[in-house]
Amino acid sequence: MKQERGLSRRLRRERRRVALRSTLVQAVWNYDSLQGIGFGWAILPGLARIRPDRGERAERLLANLGTFNANPYLASIAMGVALRLEEEIARGAAGAERRLARLLHALRGSLGAIGDDLFWSAGRPALGLAAVAAALATGSVWPAIVYVIAWNALAQGVRLAGVRAGFAAGAAVVRVLQDPFWAKAARTARAAGIFAAGAGLGMGAGLAVLGGGGLAGGAVFVAIVGFLWLAGTQIGARGPSLSPALAFLAVAALLSAIFHLSQGALP
Amino acid sequence: MTEWQAASLVALGAVVFLDQWPAVQSMISRPIVVGPAVGSILGAPADGVLWGAAFESMLLAIQPVGAARYPDAALAGLLGTAAAIMGMESGIYPAAWAVAVAAGAGWAGEVVGRLQRRRNARTAAAVLSRVSAGSLGAPARGIATALARGAALGALQTAAGLAVVIAGTRLLAGSPWAGPLDAHGLRIAAAAMAGVAGARVLGLGRKRVVSLVLGAAAGLALVFLGVSG
Repeated sequence: MKQERGLSRRLRRERRRVALRSTLVQAVWNYDSLQGIGFGWAILPGLARIRPDRGERAERLLANLGTFNANPYLASIAMGVALRLEEEIARGAAGAERRLARLLHALRGSLGAIGDDLFWSAGRPALGLAAVAAALATGSVWPAIVYVIAWNALAQGVRLAGVRAGFAAGAAVVRVLQDPFWAKAARTARAAGIFAAGAGLGMGAGLAVLGGGGLAGGAVFVAIVGFLWLAGTQIGARGPSLSPALAFLAVAALLSAIFHLSQGALP
Repeated sequence: MTEWQAASLVALGAVVFLDQWPAVQSMISRPIVVGPAVGSILGAPADGVLWGAAFESMLLAIQPVGAARYPDAALAGLLGTAAAIMGMESGIYPAAWAVAVAAGAGWAGEVVGRLQRRRNARTAAAVLSRVSAGSLGAPARGIATALARGAALGALQTAAGLAVVIAGTRLLAGSPWAGPLDAHGLRIAAAAMAGVAGARVLGLGRKRVVSLVLGAAAGLALVFLGVSG
């Protein structure tokens, strides 16, 4: 905390600007430097505080425009770390430049793994399932609105807090990554998501049986669920599998045909 | 479709293209959000909600993890919902057509996304060379260029997709095989898709089976209570 005094105090004011800029970390995403350009641009306000001289600033900016990639919401942690170490470099700390390069390289994998698990593998499917179940139940636009608000409260909140956490931890960022919060949040999201998935199944079965289909409707629903499960709705599942879009297309076509034939309207 | 509606959909296409990965990622590009937006623009918000939920469940399993190539969920949701609503206006309920449009749009959008990433490599190279020469404003200009190009590509692919949807809907309007799946049938299909995709993506352990069963009971109760009937 002592190191947070002096220049760090002025840098703290720039954290919000860095967090705000981190929303564009993927703006120039490409197959060569990945998020590199967005990363360098995001930390520029902090660099301007650390390096008032334009020439020196351009030199350090160039060093931070190299290849970088992480989960976009957690990239802000690396930005905080980079600023903290840039400050040490400016103070002339021995080996700080090498330490920064090594840390950023190491953070790529860790931030990608933790962030992808929390946001892409657990959080988004869970919130999406809850919104789908609520939308199918109510037919209202509110589930979509709540979905966007809830997602951004979590994701943009992590972005904002990430710069602060990375800056406070500096080279000791591993303790931020080892925080049980990440695993706990992903576990909670998965449990909630499974509950919502169950709600979807229960609702579908109820609609099929009680919505006029009777036992035949129930049998059709079970057949649809079985087909979708066997078709393989998981990308990367072992063995050949239909893409979710094709599996859903098959179900829509099948249901359309059943509906069509039951109306007795053959072409 | 009026000119105003077409222009609004094209503008929406530009915004959701950017939200999907280049900027913010606030998830307004997810089908569950895009569906109601398209429905509102086309004057059928309730149908937009239903179709948005259906496409969200269809695209739920796809995750932008690692170097995975994934379909453009925003374009799929936008054009799929537009195809469904325009088809309904033509007197059919074209479930299979709308899902086929969404699947095709997802694939085409992924190709356009790759094109944008390739073009970004040139922009990045130009930024690096300018910063080497001492320019501090080059990254901001590079980002503005990439975002503008992304918005243009998003608008262009939406406009092209809408043209295909309009032509396809006209062709299918007279065909008895074009649909016709009613909202009830679609809700059943979407609920099944959501349940199966969720269980497979999130994984089923012993504890989670309990959550799944409890959720199923809650879903059934909703139907009994008439909330979703």
